[in-house]
Amino acid sequence: MRKIARAALAAAVVLGASQLAGLSPAAAQQNIKFGALYPFSGGLALLGDESFRGLEIAVEERNAAGGINGKPITLVKGDAVDPNQAVGEARRLTSVDNVSAIFGTYSSSLSLAATQVAELAGVPYFELGAVSDPITERGFKYVFRTNATAKDFSVRMVDSVAEAIAPAQGKQPGELKIGIIYEDSLYGQTMSGYQKARAQEKKLNVVETLPYSAKSVDLTPVILRLKSANVDVVLQTSYQNDTVLFFRQMKDQGFKPKAVIGAGGGYSLRDTMQAVGPENMEGALDVDFTQYRTNPKAAPGIEQFVTKYKAKYGTDPRSGHSLANYMGAKVFFDAIAAAKTLSADAIRAEVMKVDLPVGSTATGWGAKFSEQGQNTRALPFLMQWQNGDLVTVFPAEAAVAKMKVGVGTN
Amino acid sequence: MTIGETSLPTATAKRPSPLMRLTHPRVYCSLAALALLLLIPLVSGSPFVVHVFVTICVFAALSTAWNIVGGYAGQLSLGHMVFYGIGGYTTALLIQHFSLSPWLGMCVGAALAALVGVGIGYPCFRLRGPFFSLATIAFLEVVRLLAIHFNGVTGGSAGLIVPLKLGWTWMIFREKINYLYIAFGLLLLCVAVSYVIRSSRLGYYLTAVRERDAAALAAGVNNTNVKLKAIAVSAALTAMVGAFHAMYMTFLEPATMFSLSTSIEVAMFSLIGGLGTVAGPLLGTVLVVPLAELARGWLGSAANGLHGFVYGSVLVLITLTLPGGLVGTFGKRFARLIDALPGGGVRVPDRAAPEPAAITGTPGEPVLVADDLVKTFGGLVATDHVSLTLRRGEILGVIGPNGAGKTTVFNQLSGFLAPNSGTVSIVGRNGARATPTTPDAFARLGIGRTFQIVQPFGKLSVLENIMIGAFLRHAGVEDARAAALRVARLVGLEDVKDVEAGTLPIGGLKRLEVARTLATEPTILLLDEVMAGQSQADTQRMVQLIRTIRDHGVTVIAIEHNMQAIMSLSDRIAVIDSGRLIAEGKPQDVVRDRRVIEAYLGEDFVDAQGL
Amino acid sequence: MDIFIQLVINGILLGSMYAIISVGLTLIFGIVRVVNFAHGEFLMVGMYGAYLLAAKFGLHPYVSAIPIVLLLFALGAIVQRFIIQPLLSADEHIQIFATVGLSTALMNLALMVFGADLYSVPPSAVQHSIALGGFTLVIGQVVMFFCALALVAGLHLFMQATPLGRAIRATAQNRNAALLMGVRVDRIYVIAFGLGAACVGLASALVMPLYPVSPTIGTYFVLTAFVVVVLGGMRSMYGAFFGALIIGVVDSLSGYYIAPDLKEVVYFALFILILIFKPTGLFGLGRGTE
Repeated sequence: MRKIARAALAAAVVLGASQLAGLSPAAAQQNIKFGALYPFSGGLALLGDESFRGLEIAVEERNAAGGINGKPITLVKGDAVDPNQAVGEARRLTSVDNVSAIFGTYSSSLSLAATQVAELAGVPYFELGAVSDPITERGFKYVFRTNATAKDFSVRMVDSVAEAIAPAQGKQPGELKIGIIYEDSLYGQTMSGYQKARAQEKKLNVVETLPYSAKSVDLTPVILRLKSANVDVVLQTSYQNDTVLFFRQMKDQGFKPKAVIGAGGGYSLRDTMQAVGPENMEGALDVDFTQYRTNPKAAPGIEQFVTKYKAKYGTDPRSGHSLANYMGAKVFFDAIAAAKTLSADAIRAEVMKVDLPVGSTATGWGAKFSEQGQNTRALPFLMQWQNGDLVTVFPAEAAVAKMKVGVGTN
Repeated sequence: MTIGETSLPTATAKRPSPLMRLTHPRVYCSLAALALLLLIPLVSGSPFVVHVFVTICVFAALSTAWNIVGGYAGQLSLGHMVFYGIGGYTTALLIQHFSLSPWLGMCVGAALAALVGVGIGYPCFRLRGPFFSLATIAFLEVVRLLAIHFNGVTGGSAGLIVPLKLGWTWMIFREKINYLYIAFGLLLLCVAVSYVIRSSRLGYYLTAVRERDAAALAAGVNNTNVKLKAIAVSAALTAMVGAFHAMYMTFLEPATMFSLSTSIEVAMFSLIGGLGTVAGPLLGTVLVVPLAELARGWLGSAANGLHGFVYGSVLVLITLTLPGGLVGTFGKRFARLIDALPGGGVRVPDRAAPEPAAITGTPGEPVLVADDLVKTFGGLVATDHVSLTLRRGEILGVIGPNGAGKTTVFNQLSGFLAPNSGTVSIVGRNGARATPTTPDAFARLGIGRTFQIVQPFGKLSVLENIMIGAFLRHAGVEDARAAALRVARLVGLEDVKDVEAGTLPIGGLKRLEVARTLATEPTILLLDEVMAGQSQADTQRMVQLIRTIRDHGVTVIAIEHNMQAIMSLSDRIAVIDSGRLIAEGKPQDVVRDRRVIEAYLGEDFVDAQGL
Repeated sequence: MDIFIQLVINGILLGSMYAIISVGLTLIFGIVRVVNFAHGEFLMVGMYGAYLLAAKFGLHPYVSAIPIVLLLFALGAIVQRFIIQPLLSADEHIQIFATVGLSTALMNLALMVFGADLYSVPPSAVQHSIALGGFTLVIGQVVMFFCALALVAGLHLFMQATPLGRAIRATAQNRNAALLMGVRVDRIYVIAFGLGAACVGLASALVMPLYPVSPTIGTYFVLTAFVVVVLGGMRSMYGAFFGALIIGVVDSLSGYYIAPDLKEVVYFALFILILIFKPTGLFGLGRGTE
């Protein structure tokens, strides 16, 4: 029985696989198949799904306009929960479904694992949302990324201290005491590393660097350390739970920094603001993907995107991830269309020719790719919570409001 | 029960030759089934199918390795990914810093993991059940947090990326099928190690320790030692799989390398397949992983959390309905079917038992000397300055009222209790005098003891119970089996030798106590009320048996309440009351001793009788 | 010095939250002799209950404490009756697997029903803090501290003064003797498991205003609760209470003086050391690992 069960199962796997493969040939004649690799289940599901929606809207828009060179696009979903699953799903997409390219991935560790597979299989991989720098630093030929990297975010955060906060406070940048705090997973450790390096470059005064677990139920030790070091500006890299906890406990413990800058994550979510309370979140700064309260002149197409999103899903976008994926997908669709064939090398050649100036896409970014496949014109904006809204305040072209001084009710 | 307990045909050779083994259906069927794991992906040629089978092999290997500790030794580690992570990180760091091939890194990682395993196991094995599990979880968490904190060494949460150097030296391939060969090889290695352990002395010892640690100690098993061996082997194998898997993923991060949920999953596969069996973990993995992969494809994106919910529910259902797992529940029936195939069902012809070592030494010389033993429990003095000398070849009866402290003295004579003061010295089998401190050391020196409250290994057969004792002098399984069979005949348990010990009536269990102890071939035998619960006829047989044993040169000391039997049997009698030795001498003298009668019947009685 | 005192205050208040959660776990282990690995998920169920009552009926979690406690009592009783009871005579590892499986199933069920989003109740006064001689105390945590005291005192009275309480204590001390004395042990177990779960119900209503709920919220608390239970001697309610306060203070101090990301390492290390060297708990209130 043991053998029989095993054989039957194995047969089922093979049959299942060949069925999946068997569906494709007929369809492949007319359609172009792309893989959509995101975490659709598990802990990352919320923003994974949000990212996918951007891609989905871009595909619908493209198909309504006649697809790529007359062929409609179909998306094959791959659910990547953890790196092992990401590897498995990437293998399935590239070998069973024979997709022409993969779009993804939201999470950096999933992307790092999946891109290795795609690169070895010679299938182009378009990263639209994961920020880890090494994704485009490994010398891969067919991995391209439209969005800004962790380093870009960190540089913008640190530079904001010198360029925006210090002048607003009427101080020299070097006079401000900076505290860097971060949750200790991949996201926080990567970001804080670049923040520290950039702060050193800019000769800023970092007095505390504190990692903590995002699962922590008490951040008062962190806050009291910042308080006793008289920190003026806090740079935080955090998820949602710990952002809420930080703001609540900062208030409880009477810690009143001059400014707090978050690195997307928990800072960009409306739920966070609601859980913290708009009056407590007032003035909190945030560096992230482009959000929706951005000057449409600097981000042409952003309003149309929101309209389409609302029409399709019945709610406002939950974060800027959908917009970033939408923008990236559009750039790559154009490049693929220009390539005429679907060969990886032809696509690469066309991606390298892309040259869009800053301020010409829905995210406000431009597009120009380095040899490594990284978009050099993706610039994160500085945003601020004002009256319960996350508005873009820097740079001036994209801003819809002026930056306020102070955090919370101070 | 499992392919691990296969008995194979043999003619005269000491061990059946490998070629002979192949003709047995259990062997060729198992190999054929295993080969499917390699053949299906080879035939399909699809990289996705290959990936699924690599995953199956990896998890089956992990689960098989886990089962050595979790199943055989019954120590439910829920932090086993510690070893997996150590294997992975060691290998990756050695590549990064010293350009060392992962094949070497794998071995270094395995050695390191074995050390860590011993380091964790040594202090934690004294913890029982859930607390051992909690401690392993705590170790896993600590290691994970440290791996994150010391990001200068491990790369922290940002992870380590394995450089993509292709080829067999670097264990990274463009041809995915090569990964399958390695994963399959590792699986074979784990299953082979697991099989060898299961069918060797270590395997029997692990089962014994899991079932009854006191009885295992009395049979001379060094409990901690065998568990440490198990965890070292298990940790090393887990680390090797971890090293390979890291090369396969080419990316390591603490969250996946030291994952609690993966640790639980690995244990779950074993439970579903059958804890403590050779084939169980493999079978569990082969069933669950493809189902999970397929379910994820079909449902994963549609229903968030569904597959986790199904996992959890299946786990609860299995514990409620099939606690023995698939192999534990259906294994025997299935094995009979297999044995019906050509070449099956051949049993080993009984071989001659190896001769027990002859007991040498001068009759009458002191072989066990207890000098001024004192043992207190809190304020209660359980043993009050007791001194005893046992002479070679005699039968010493120990009597005394209930609660007089006889068993406490026995426990000190066999190392189960350390006296507060006083010493126990014995003459070992080699003739040298020794003062051992642990029960297993006493047993190895030739002290055999039975327990008043019987301590059978309930799930083993009667013969296997006796084998646990026989292993002390005969390391080979076949030798031990033959020696055990001889003891079974002597004690009168031969006709029930294949019965599960837990089902024996009390009289049978008492004889099994004696048999297991005799199988250790003791020079001094401590019998604790072996005649209680025996029928009249059985008591006669027991008396006869004890005489026979003594005639072989064994010195016997027996606690007994059956006065008639002990008086007729003993050369000398010692009487213990309220922890003190109140009388010692020939049976006929002792029964007339005033203090003895007082102790048994009370002062009033003595006075009334005018003694 | 001020910082030190503030840290200790924060630690004690944090500890009182661990106390309410751990008392339930101790109760279950002390009486039924089962380690409930699904304890954190009970907390999660309670928190979702409190969230739903707040979202649908606008009830403050403190008000919904009553229905939540009843709900969790029922959940605990059902789990005992249908999952633990059939396994009481089974091997320990089977019991471990059963509660681990229950934990996984409940966590993923929540993921299916509510998704991975965080839910929190509308802000209320208990999130605010009061100043006391230069130190700040969060109202919600102060409430928790007094609830923890009241819970331990209440359970103490219940165990000492009521017939049911005495029957429970008798069962905890010697199952067979209780059985001989006519105590219906199975029913006692169902009640005890229910009580343990009800304690978590109370905890979830008190925690809800301070922390948002998500499917994995239980895992944030449960490992700490295990540490507390071991520290307290595994069967002693009072041990658990003081153990929780100690862990709270250790958490707070090590987060400040060592490193915030290593505070778990500190108390897990403490946990391992106590398990190994002092299995009767810090105060010797337990009876070891038997």
